[in-house]
Amino acid sequence: MKEMNRRELIAAGAALGGAALLAGCGSSGSTSSSSAKTTPLSKRPDISKEPGHLSILEWGGYEAGGTPAQTSGMWAGTPYTKEFGKHSITYTYIVNDDQSLSKAANGGPFDIVHPCNEMLPSFVKEGLVQPWDTSLLPSFKNLNPFLVKRGQINGQQYMIPWDWGYASLLYRSDKIDPGDATGWELAWNPKYKGKVSLWNGAGSDMEVAALKLGYTKPGEMDNMTPAQIANAKNALIQQKPLNKFYWSSEYQQMQPAFKAGDIWIAYTWQDAYVSMKAAKLQVNYLNPSQGKLSWFCGFVLGSQTKNFFHAHKYVESFINHHACVQMTNLFYYGTADATTKAGEIQNPALAKQLTIGNPEALLASDVHLQSYQPNRSQYELAWQEVLAA
Amino acid sequence: MTATTVEAFPRRARRWPLWLSSRAFARFLTAATPSLYVVLLLIVPVVLIALYSFGLKTNPAAGSATGFSTANWSDFLTGAGNPFRGRFFTSLIVTLAVSCIAVLGAYPLAYFLAFVARRHRYTILLIILAPFFTSYLLRVVAWEVILNNDGVINSLLWTLHLRAHGHAITWLIYSKFSVALVLFYAWVPFVALPIFVVLDNLDRRLLDASHDLGATRLTTFFRVTLPLSLPGVIAGFVFVLIPTTGEFIAPLLVGGPSSQLFGNSIQAFFSDTPDWNYGSVLAITLVVVVVILLAIFGRFINTDLTEQAAT
Repeated sequence: MKEMNRRELIAAGAALGGAALLAGCGSSGSTSSSSAKTTPLSKRPDISKEPGHLSILEWGGYEAGGTPAQTSGMWAGTPYTKEFGKHSITYTYIVNDDQSLSKAANGGPFDIVHPCNEMLPSFVKEGLVQPWDTSLLPSFKNLNPFLVKRGQINGQQYMIPWDWGYASLLYRSDKIDPGDATGWELAWNPKYKGKVSLWNGAGSDMEVAALKLGYTKPGEMDNMTPAQIANAKNALIQQKPLNKFYWSSEYQQMQPAFKAGDIWIAYTWQDAYVSMKAAKLQVNYLNPSQGKLSWFCGFVLGSQTKNFFHAHKYVESFINHHACVQMTNLFYYGTADATTKAGEIQNPALAKQLTIGNPEALLASDVHLQSYQPNRSQYELAWQEVLAA
Repeated sequence: MTATTVEAFPRRARRWPLWLSSRAFARFLTAATPSLYVVLLLIVPVVLIALYSFGLKTNPAAGSATGFSTANWSDFLTGAGNPFRGRFFTSLIVTLAVSCIAVLGAYPLAYFLAFVARRHRYTILLIILAPFFTSYLLRVVAWEVILNNDGVINSLLWTLHLRAHGHAITWLIYSKFSVALVLFYAWVPFVALPIFVVLDNLDRRLLDASHDLGATRLTTFFRVTLPLSLPGVIAGFVFVLIPTTGEFIAPLLVGGPSSQLFGNSIQAFFSDTPDWNYGSVLAITLVVVVVILLAIFGRFINTDLTEQAAT
């Protein structure tokens, strides 16, 4: 039998590759993003006819109580797992906000995603989500109207708010000179080289750099000009050698390293402050002179979900009063549940110190709420350039 | 009387078209399966990535328009101070260094297996390879436990009072050292394999002849053993060079901010940003580099020892 020679094989491969190229050019560059159609409840299949297995894009540590993945001690979600089983949910994880959109757009479809509010416009614009039917959420009426309103776009409830809080620098008060702990510039202090760890999150790090550089007007950090973005990038490149590592996982990387004394200064949310205090470390949570960052997150409903009713039941198991109180006592995050009373918080002094009593504190003058970034792609490219520098 | 012809092999009615039983079709079928594999799993993905790199496909989440553009290529190849270009060259140097060190570390192991272990060589080889039947990710994570500030090494030093308790050797982890160490550990056994195969198949009479002609053991090694083992050495070098070029797991888990490699940039673009177009530029660059490396080193790989010995 005559052997196919190399020239023939290469020619055949090129022909096939060219066919693939033409096919690729001919296909649409964008996936069809479904518009947020609101199907009347009466036209939806009964819950018993839904597949029932939820696919959820979630931050590590916030898995429903009762699932094998939940190891933080969180109770929220337990009513759902009791009713539908602890193996009825598959979690896919995100480690930063940028990943939430990317994975939701390309790794789904997901029934529920737990992004933060600054990503909501992008989720809606890409057709990844649909409005919730709040009539299916008995606890919805208890949610703080301030957060509820911010989860709406064009009058429709796209996000069910759940948790809110702050981001700042956690630092070892026994290792850091108090005179150095005045603002975000603490992370730039060469005295602490190798003892710093910023989060590997493009948007947040650019905001930190913006505040350090003095871009503190309301909304300025999320609407930087190209020149400001370049300045923030250069500031982060300057700061880069001081990091021991950029952490991606709070519970697998940052907190163990902080407890072990590998790092003394870390970008973190207030739950880490609570954890380190519980571990008997001498720590402080910085109130930067430029103002700390604030955030709120919530649940969005996948536009292609086949588990419409299951998804509502899942979220209800998170936003009910008991779940919200327990979450606050566990992480010391603020809760969207407006019926939570001060007496239900185990450590009221800590709660007051962290100002988690009223979510309208998110907009206080010394706080910068992380919001939608129209130039997010430029922020992300700048961050990648910092990482590559 | 009518003559009748008896056919030795009576013809049956044909059940399928003639071309199906042709040799050309048989040849086509034989070549189709591996060709389909190469096309579907290699050529098509590379072509798709190339389309992304020229903007002919985009990630919807990026919000950018689809249309032919060389802007990203231009920025990467010629943009002033482009950090990804710098990281590319740095990664290449790290990769070459790790490959050379892996070969230097693997050769004694292969030599030991081929010339010293002899009867037990396959057993020892299996023992060496046993950890590598587990997940690569788990093995890298295990090194985190060993190298961490309160890991196995530092804890041992504190226990033996060689260092004051709490004063860890901090450069063991999240450093260029940790990345190089993990890559070396991951690839040495695989580099040793082709060298071992070549050494094991070496005609021992050549070594005897060298000794008979008065050469010392060292001279025999450098003038006979090493040259004949070069095909295995080069094969091992290529074994570690190609995958290390795109490595990202070890730097991600045990590397610090300044020890990330080119593969980390590619991984970050695809997982942390929706900008697949720029990430594709980096990915295609890596593919091109790997093809060039294979073309350069491929011609040196020749395991025909008989032909080498004859020349």
